[in-house]
Amino acid sequence: MEETVLAIFFFWAPGAVFVMGALMFLFAKESSVKRAGQILVGVGILTILLAPWTIPFSPSSSFGHFIGSIVGPTALLAVGIYNLSFSGNVPVGRLSMSERRSGIVMIMLGVLWFEGMHWWILTPTYPAEVNGYWFIFWSTTLLVSTGLAAGAIMLTRRVGDNRIQEQRLLTVVLLMLVSLVIMGFAFDGPRVDAERFAHEFWLAGADVFGMLVGFSLAIFVFAFVIAFYESQLPEPSRLPAPTEDELTRAAGIIAAHTEGGTSDE
Amino acid sequence: MSEQNSRASVVILGASFLLFPLLLCGLALVLYGHVTNGAFVRFGNSLLTSYTIASFVLLFSLFVYGDKRKRPISPLVGMLGAALVGVMISFMFLSQGDLLMEANGSIRAQALSNIIRFSTTFIAISISALIVGGISFASLMNSPTKQHIFDEEE
Repeated sequence: MEETVLAIFFFWAPGAVFVMGALMFLFAKESSVKRAGQILVGVGILTILLAPWTIPFSPSSSFGHFIGSIVGPTALLAVGIYNLSFSGNVPVGRLSMSERRSGIVMIMLGVLWFEGMHWWILTPTYPAEVNGYWFIFWSTTLLVSTGLAAGAIMLTRRVGDNRIQEQRLLTVVLLMLVSLVIMGFAFDGPRVDAERFAHEFWLAGADVFGMLVGFSLAIFVFAFVIAFYESQLPEPSRLPAPTEDELTRAAGIIAAHTEGGTSDE
Repeated sequence: MSEQNSRASVVILGASFLLFPLLLCGLALVLYGHVTNGAFVRFGNSLLTSYTIASFVLLFSLFVYGDKRKRPISPLVGMLGAALVGVMISFMFLSQGDLLMEANGSIRAQALSNIIRFSTTFIAISISALIVGGISFASLMNSPTKQHIFDEEE
């Protein structure tokens, strides 16, 4: 019982605080509420990150361990992409060439770090075996990235004008991703079994497809609720038609603003 | 004819997002026949969890909608009902033994496990979007500046 209370206090309550903070940040209009939301997000994520130390006995703590494992490479990728993007043809606030180079290095390090989790000894292991959430994360990331890359190539072909460079780069990314998946199916890593990876890849597909259907259903129900409510609203009261006097007065005002004038005006 | 073409191009665009994931899942199935074990359970849990969580998020967004509509109660009640239906169906299916239960000791443990797995999948999808979207955006920002179609006025 005591373990359950500790898990609620150190994992589920911070999770709820995180979600509440994110919603406040996204939906609030006042800047003070947005700032409070940011603080709640920070407190929530920090407490979840500490879960392997605060509640090591709980199965939920492996999620905290997983988050801690991916923070580094994700931050490197995000900052690297930011540096690379805003050191290009940006009219205002362009970053320097050294920041551009550091961006490229960060992206390469981030990718290598993620790859090291599959093909080297960096696999998140908690407490003694590979973290199950990392398996879900890694297979889902590869699965969704291949879909997004292929979709983005098609999108630039259909919508973009003279976007050959983007198409080539995205094709290289797609080929890299597909190669990684096929290698994962074919070869065992130091701690990642090829068959287990293939199984997790299938389950990731089931997760993503289920998520798409679930989200679509929720949006459909939401639209139905709003449409039903709007259809029940009474008709707005109609104003009486304008009288002759009002029409004459309106015509006078329009004429005063549309006729005459000098070249100075 | 042009309407048919545009509809076909939308279908091709949608299919392009699904093609490679489906091909790779098919390859996994060909290489290891039994990889589909547990896929239906994962699909069911993912569907119910995402429906319920999305319904609660949309319920929260109704407060923003309410600001513009003199705070009506009925859509809030309707959406709360829809979200609670998701919770009830989830618990009903989880209580049916092996239908949606995995290696968790109780219904509560399975429900909490579903929420954590939903979060993990959501993080993975966000990072995928960051990688593909970020690379596309970086390439776009680093491509040569295009010539203006019209000469600027003197």
